[in-house]
Amino acid sequence: MQKVDQILVSIFQRSFKAITDEMSISLTKTTRSPILCEAKDFVTGLYDEKGQILEQKENLPILSFSLGPVCKMLIEKYADNIYPGDVIIHNDVFSLGNQNNDVAIFKPIFFEDTLIGWSAAKGHQADIGGAVQGGYNPNATEIWEEALRIPAVKIYEKGELRKDVWDLIFANIRLSMVQEDIKAQIGACSLGERRLEKVVEKYGIDSYRTHKQALFDATEKMMRAEIRTIPNGVYEGESMVYYDGKHVGSTFPIKNHITVNDEDIVFDFSKSSPQTNGFVNGTYTSSCSAITLTFLQMVDPNIPHNEGMVKPLEYIVPEGTILNASYPAATTFGNHLCPQIADSIFKALGPAIPKRVTAGWNHLLCSLFTGMHPLKDQKYVDICFLGMKGGSGALHGVDGYDHIGMIDASGGVLDQDYEMYEQQTPHRIIKHEYLPDSAGAGQWRGGLGVETEIMLGADHTKMVVFGDGDKQGAYGLFGGKGSILNKIELNYPDGQQLIPMSKDIIDDIPQGTIYHQIAGGGGGLGNPLNRPLELVIKEFENGIISKKEAEKNYGLIFYQNSSIPDIEKSKKFRNTQNRKA
Amino acid sequence: MENLNNYKLGIDVGGTFTDFFLVSDKGMTYMHKTLSTPEDPSIGFIRGINDLASKLNLPPDFLFEHIDTIVHGTTVATNALLTKNGANTALITTKGFRDALEMRRGIREEQYNNRYQNIAPLVIRKNRFTIDERVDAQGKIIQTVSVDELNTLVDILKERNIESVAVCFMNSYLNPDNEKLVTGYLRDKLPHCFITGSYEVLPSVRFYERVSTTVINAYIGIVVPEYLNALTQKLKKHHFKGRLLIMQSNGGVVTPEEACNIPAVTVLSGPAAAPVGAAYFAGLLGFENCITMDMGGTSFDASLVANGQCITSTDGAINQYRVALPTLDIVTIGAGGGSIGWLDSGGLLQMGPQSAGAKPGPVCYNLGGQQAACTDADLQLGYLNPDFFAGGTMKLDAAKTKNAIHEKLGVPLKLSNIKVASGMYKIINMNMAQGVRQVSVERGYDPREFLMIVAGGAGAIHAGEICRELEIPMFIVPDVGPIFCAAAMLLGDLKHDYVRSYMTVFNDIDKKYFLQLFEEMMQRGKTTLIQEGIKEENIEFTPILDLRYQGQYHEVSVEIPLEVILNFQLHLVSDLFHTEHNRLFGYSLEKEATPLEIINLRLRAIGITDKPESISANTSINTKTLDPAVALKNYREVYIPESDNIQKIPVYDGDALPGVCTIKGPAIIEQVNTSVFLGSSYNCQSGNYAALIVYDKEKFPDGISGNAYDELMKVHEKEEA
Repeated sequence: MQKVDQILVSIFQRSFKAITDEMSISLTKTTRSPILCEAKDFVTGLYDEKGQILEQKENLPILSFSLGPVCKMLIEKYADNIYPGDVIIHNDVFSLGNQNNDVAIFKPIFFEDTLIGWSAAKGHQADIGGAVQGGYNPNATEIWEEALRIPAVKIYEKGELRKDVWDLIFANIRLSMVQEDIKAQIGACSLGERRLEKVVEKYGIDSYRTHKQALFDATEKMMRAEIRTIPNGVYEGESMVYYDGKHVGSTFPIKNHITVNDEDIVFDFSKSSPQTNGFVNGTYTSSCSAITLTFLQMVDPNIPHNEGMVKPLEYIVPEGTILNASYPAATTFGNHLCPQIADSIFKALGPAIPKRVTAGWNHLLCSLFTGMHPLKDQKYVDICFLGMKGGSGALHGVDGYDHIGMIDASGGVLDQDYEMYEQQTPHRIIKHEYLPDSAGAGQWRGGLGVETEIMLGADHTKMVVFGDGDKQGAYGLFGGKGSILNKIELNYPDGQQLIPMSKDIIDDIPQGTIYHQIAGGGGGLGNPLNRPLELVIKEFENGIISKKEAEKNYGLIFYQNSSIPDIEKSKKFRNTQNRKA
Repeated sequence: MENLNNYKLGIDVGGTFTDFFLVSDKGMTYMHKTLSTPEDPSIGFIRGINDLASKLNLPPDFLFEHIDTIVHGTTVATNALLTKNGANTALITTKGFRDALEMRRGIREEQYNNRYQNIAPLVIRKNRFTIDERVDAQGKIIQTVSVDELNTLVDILKERNIESVAVCFMNSYLNPDNEKLVTGYLRDKLPHCFITGSYEVLPSVRFYERVSTTVINAYIGIVVPEYLNALTQKLKKHHFKGRLLIMQSNGGVVTPEEACNIPAVTVLSGPAAAPVGAAYFAGLLGFENCITMDMGGTSFDASLVANGQCITSTDGAINQYRVALPTLDIVTIGAGGGSIGWLDSGGLLQMGPQSAGAKPGPVCYNLGGQQAACTDADLQLGYLNPDFFAGGTMKLDAAKTKNAIHEKLGVPLKLSNIKVASGMYKIINMNMAQGVRQVSVERGYDPREFLMIVAGGAGAIHAGEICRELEIPMFIVPDVGPIFCAAAMLLGDLKHDYVRSYMTVFNDIDKKYFLQLFEEMMQRGKTTLIQEGIKEENIEFTPILDLRYQGQYHEVSVEIPLEVILNFQLHLVSDLFHTEHNRLFGYSLEKEATPLEIINLRLRAIGITDKPESISANTSINTKTLDPAVALKNYREVYIPESDNIQKIPVYDGDALPGVCTIKGPAIIEQVNTSVFLGSSYNCQSGNYAALIVYDKEKFPDGISGNAYDELMKVHEKEEA
């Protein structure tokens, strides 16, 4: 073993990071599906010869933490059968994939005949076969109704395309675009391969081995130091999932107990609800990703993302629960259990580290439109990202982030550009604005939600709805208030209104229908009466909060019959109210 | 007094220094630096010209009278945006879209950081107004503007003392009539306000980009004209009768009158000259491809020139505010002489992006800085001479530096000072190399085929290691390096960029409409340039098309020869697009016959300016080689990165080198405004091409006797094989 050079440790870390960043840029520029190139619903990573994370570029965190486990599985599965030029494809949720649509490409990396690592790229594909285009099938009870299963299989061996395998896979996928996007992922992996080879060539294989281990150790030390700042104890938290797509009124609790013991932390979700027989089920790795990304929001954001970071985290997510459904359950909704998992963790750790947990985030409620563009005579698929992005929960000292969207992505998934949207779909956007009073009030308020109105521009539009948050809003914390509910409604041209369930498919929607969506805000934190008066007035003037909300929650008093705040009276009122409390 | 000289003057106002470069029509050149005066940059501007006059023993007004052209790079717009010190601005937009500006499409740049806050918008929500109007996705007006609604709005704008108004409507790039009506009406009713419509600034598709750019234009719509008018007045008072031209973000220049119409073109006025100058120096050596690195106190700028052309992009942002006007593609990262070394919570050494700036500065400045910065590491490693910093005008405190490195970093890391300082040096070089990678590799260019051009005072100490990291075998340090941008400004042509969106599949292009759009843009360019005093024969046009394969989302900008456009030779356009796509992404879909889509038509109108013959004192090529020993100052102990140890190496006086000579690395060459470090893998040739040429001694064992470009390509081809 070589002697560790602290400086070289930093240099290796920077190199790994530069490589995964570059892979990510390459993927953004070359993919076609807007889900990838606009919304960046993908992740790139580098792993060592044992499948340990060297670095990841996590555009969409919920996808990220299943690549390492799959890489380890591949090493075991292929053992002596791994060659330079191999390319392996994988999506299977029953061999550690996180979601059927999230398809991963892995490429082994060699240096002078020795396996030194892997590059990987995983992205959410526009289609992956199954019964419903786009993959979200609220009617599914088994995986085959959702997607084509791809357990690890080589699509290239020793640099040769296995055309028969390729054809078999893509014969089962609706859109030819997916082939192009998979090619782009292979391209990104080849880039990562070339770059890592260069680094190892430059510093030597022994130095690489020594220093990546030292990097893991240093990172683990950072992570353990963070865990030490949480008082020892057993903490419990709970949240609720509403409706499985099958049984109206059904509910499914998510329950954890979290044990902190010095520098170890165990997340135990054993007491969560048993799995459902709909598609509202998590997979082991999507649930672990959700736990990890939530915990990462409570520690130093500059910790490098490698094996050392995840090593101190222990997960107990037993098979058969809603967070780790048994074969052959339907699981496409699993990524979207992340908000509930996050809620339960924040709630559990709130008493221990009150300044590091946020109030509730808005839970995703989303729709996906498919149909024909009459002017172009072309099929389109569009996930309505701009409508679904609600607010984040407030944190001690900081308001929630407005219109950030689901915690699974934490601001990594972007709105479509309005004008491009109107070119690519037949629909016209009527409104997309912050929704006043949508955030939970608090000394620090929640992030704002948005209101969206879209006029559908073609007959026979099909809409798939998936999500939650229409029964319970984001919760407030430490005296902060909760937020409003999510809502989707269709107002047909004939005057009828349809409010879909939170998991639903609506067919044959006519042209001229108005789609109306409310994405709620985040929960507030702390007593709203302690919010600085000048800030309350400013937000009232900016139309972020209404007069009614300002009076009711923030104790702002107006001169009679006017919209002019009476500052003196307001101050007095807020003081007496606070004293009473 | 008999003095028949006329002069051209480049002036680059930076954060700390204002740089001057004066060249006479006889080819004499003068460099000057003075402290900037941020409260009113024109003070330093005028003072510097007076200083130059006294250097030349001329009466000040005489010099003013004999300058025929001043080219000026200004940070007035940049600073207004960085310090949020612009106009009291309002935005008028389409009903239903009040918040696009602030939402920024819902991005949070740091996903795991719940303390991260959205950047405050340039127009607060209260001053973002919507009116009931609408153009549909095919360009048809489906809701006209109501004058009553406008009148109510005008009253509110007056009441709120709004100084500047941006107007940006949905789909106005397809049909600007509603927007024109509103801007015209407001100009009428609010004569003292700056009014700008998105159709005047950026008539292309993508609402967020357009609204953000239009708002930036409005926000700086008062400060930029005020500054330029005051400056023009002052120059008049000093009897300046020549032309004042302003550097634009696109690498061209513009008259002050045009800059006042669209001030947003000056947002990155300062650094934009660097690639223009780089193209010039590369050209002297026969190169068409080069990369410039400019390392200052807090930031490091990298940019790239390919085929003699500076690369422009429309992906720019300043302080996270999106500017989608064509801007030279300059990557700026937080790395400079002031970058601070620190330990993260895992005990790993990191450099920057926090900077000690000019005040308190690095520890060795002895101005109160406590944390060791990059300059301290450079001093500890022997690259800097404490008695000859800035030619000896500033003394560096080596003892304080040693102490700070030891206490803050050496003790916790349990490493010697040399080990720590060399680590700082390596890490910051790595960070800067990553910046260079961003402008090259990430844009589809192989840096090994490029010549590196080193500007800025601190750059030449770090260039060797950055080049080794990127396998660039040669770099040059031009004689005007320390005031590079001021000199390069004199090389800029007048440039105006126009854009029209026309989204259609290639086979459906309406020839007449397509040509009509180009004709309109050419007319506008011609009219503007003629107003700016350019003769018709000196006007050139460069068409650019934004294209993609059908089904793709991101488009690729491809420059097309004018005659191909005018002759409507679409098959040639396709060929150019396939080639460019292949270069960028490693494949094309030519064989699959995937149809192309057109998104935007762009036109760059160029007015060729009268330029100095040279911006360098010495561009002749000598062949006689002399011995550099006459310039040997002494020997000093310096850290050698190649062998990771300290060696005693020769130090040369760069200003006393006797014409053409070869200096063998390792060595240090000290000049008044810069220090050049040659590692043991480098040799350096001085005296030719107005620059020091530093090259990898293994790759060029016989030196660079012939054409440097041919030599470099030979090396590259050998490696490829």
